[in-house]
Amino acid sequence: MRKKKKTNVSNLKTVIEANGKNRQYWIDIWRYRGLAFNLAKRDITVRYKQTVIGLGWSIINPVLNMLIMTFIFGSVANLSSDGSAPYSVMVYAGIIPWTLFARNFTLSSAAFIKSAALMKKVYFPRIIAPLGESIAALIDAMISFMILLLIILISHFTSGFVPSWRIVLAPLLFLLPAVLGFFTGLFLSPANIRFRDLNQAIPFLISLGQYVTPVGYSFAEACQNVPENFRFVYEFNPVAGVINLIRWCIIPDNAFHWPSFISALVCIAIFVPVGIALFRKGERTFVDLV
Amino acid sequence: MAAQLDDNRPVIMKVDNIGKKYRIKNLKTLPADAGKLKKLGYHLKKYQKNDFWALKNISFEIRQGDRLAIVGRNGAGKSTLLKLISRITEPTEGRIEYYGRVAAMLEVGTGFNPELTGRENVYLNGAILGMTKDMIDERFDGIVEFSEIGDFIDTPVKRYSSGMMVRLAFAVASTMDPDILIIDEVLSVGDMKFREKCLQRMNEIASSGKTILCVSHVMNIIRGLCNRAIVLEHGRMIYEGEIEQAIKLYNGIHEEARITSRDLENLPRPRFLNEKMRMLHVDVLENRNCIYNWDEPIRFLLRVETKLDAECVSLRVVFRCDNGTPAATAFLPLRADFKAGEIKDIYVSVDRHNLAPGDYKVGLELTQESPYDDYHKVDKVVPEAFFVTVRNIGAQEHVLEDDSSRLWIGSWGNSRIMDVTGEVRG
Repeated sequence: MRKKKKTNVSNLKTVIEANGKNRQYWIDIWRYRGLAFNLAKRDITVRYKQTVIGLGWSIINPVLNMLIMTFIFGSVANLSSDGSAPYSVMVYAGIIPWTLFARNFTLSSAAFIKSAALMKKVYFPRIIAPLGESIAALIDAMISFMILLLIILISHFTSGFVPSWRIVLAPLLFLLPAVLGFFTGLFLSPANIRFRDLNQAIPFLISLGQYVTPVGYSFAEACQNVPENFRFVYEFNPVAGVINLIRWCIIPDNAFHWPSFISALVCIAIFVPVGIALFRKGERTFVDLV
Repeated sequence: MAAQLDDNRPVIMKVDNIGKKYRIKNLKTLPADAGKLKKLGYHLKKYQKNDFWALKNISFEIRQGDRLAIVGRNGAGKSTLLKLISRITEPTEGRIEYYGRVAAMLEVGTGFNPELTGRENVYLNGAILGMTKDMIDERFDGIVEFSEIGDFIDTPVKRYSSGMMVRLAFAVASTMDPDILIIDEVLSVGDMKFREKCLQRMNEIASSGKTILCVSHVMNIIRGLCNRAIVLEHGRMIYEGEIEQAIKLYNGIHEEARITSRDLENLPRPRFLNEKMRMLHVDVLENRNCIYNWDEPIRFLLRVETKLDAECVSLRVVFRCDNGTPAATAFLPLRADFKAGEIKDIYVSVDRHNLAPGDYKVGLELTQESPYDDYHKVDKVVPEAFFVTVRNIGAQEHVLEDDSSRLWIGSWGNSRIMDVTGEVRG
């Protein structure tokens, strides 16, 4: 079995050409999939090495975030929650997709810079590096989702909240914010090689985005209170679309919002091919530029 | 040479007219009388971009089982070529085709994460080098054994000594089983014992019929490992073929002094010379390539200028190996007197030098005997004035002058150790 596999590899013909045509690229991604998982594993293990709580940090982080937002928006600002859901559930259901989006966006836009040292020494399809980190982010999201289930269970006993049956779709739909963030970030990654300003600007954009996007408050609330002229910020915000989508999965009486959801799909349809194309272009020359 | 005999082996890699261009920025010069507008324009665009071809028109083929050495000086384009072949960067023009898996041992330890343990790093590094988990599982014990890491395998790599890290990295890299293996100066790792071990492992791989591409500045490694060579110079390929010829060419490029005459006047000198005289020029006579048999005389003319009166001056000719180790010294007891302002030629003939086959740097040293019976260095050229190669061909065996009854084979070394005693016991 092994032997057979090996001879197959030996017959594999690789052509390297000047204009960067490389038919093997997609096959290579499959061949190097092990590396993506290894990098994901490295990402997670290294993050919690020499910490006492270890993996607990990936729970504490979003939970604390949720508590703060619930306190500020729910208790201090006294905004109303989304349908029947307790404020904490609504916020937490927003934090998971937002974090996924933000992390994917950050990591893929910095893909070349972060792994430059490695990429300058060894060949692998460059997209494997951000892909590995993205897998790590997805695993974290799954852990967060477990906590969400726990929070829902607690609120079921305290306030009688019953989640929608659509909750079973949620783990799958987490792919949407991840994909959206990953490929919009990928779109920026080649520019990030030349203009390191982007590296400074992106964290700022992310923290700005967290307020423009309904993470700490409900989508319906935002649309109601924002003046007519600015409503488009929410109505056509693709990230708001996917966040509301996740909430729709969990909250039975959430009002599904089509325009923002469609805008998310359109963005994905545009940024996936464009992002890949720009990334492929960037990876051809970046070794000589970094 | 074997490559020509056995040409029905399949071509495994074909490099076709490859070129790689880099853009380099140069600071423009601003004319002194430039107006304000021009100055402003200069500050906006200080640099001009120039094209620089790191490689151009490189074509060659590698057949299965070939072990190709790429030799050339620093900056000749060797590493760029390996980077193109291992797909780290793309060529500007041309095309490379190959069959099977290429793996490069470019820089040992790439991708090691200090926080991870040795075991975790072996898996990560293996994956980076393109191995699957099964492959690494299979080789894991071998890797640990080869690296001599032992129980430290579950310790974070940041606690390793640098030697341990390098050993582990080499162990991982050398277990790769690609169809084409690329080696770039990785053998200069670790202590001497481990280097030997690495070299042995490389030789095993080489003799197993693997296709290898190798870059090294150590000619003996290339001699041992490879069967063909290409020589690069300033990004151009100037030779493809037999190893010895390539090494000769490389030495020719490498040491611009493989010439038959050289100005010594401006070469670096060591300190502590009395500088009464200065060597100006050396002319190697009768041998255009500086290649000798053991019994061929090495003859040269040395032109010296005398600055202050110097008495009882003699000449020392020191032959050094590539790494600087002195191999032999010829002393010419001239005991000549020179007057200030004179420029004279000294004719030197080193007959039957008895040097073992190899490449030597020839250093020259003028010395002065003082009445108190010690030597003063008058002038000295370090590290070398010119180069000679002593051939392995022809008269390999020669008879030592002091012991004419015994044979001495050149490759046994330069000097024979005389005081040896021993007996059969038991």
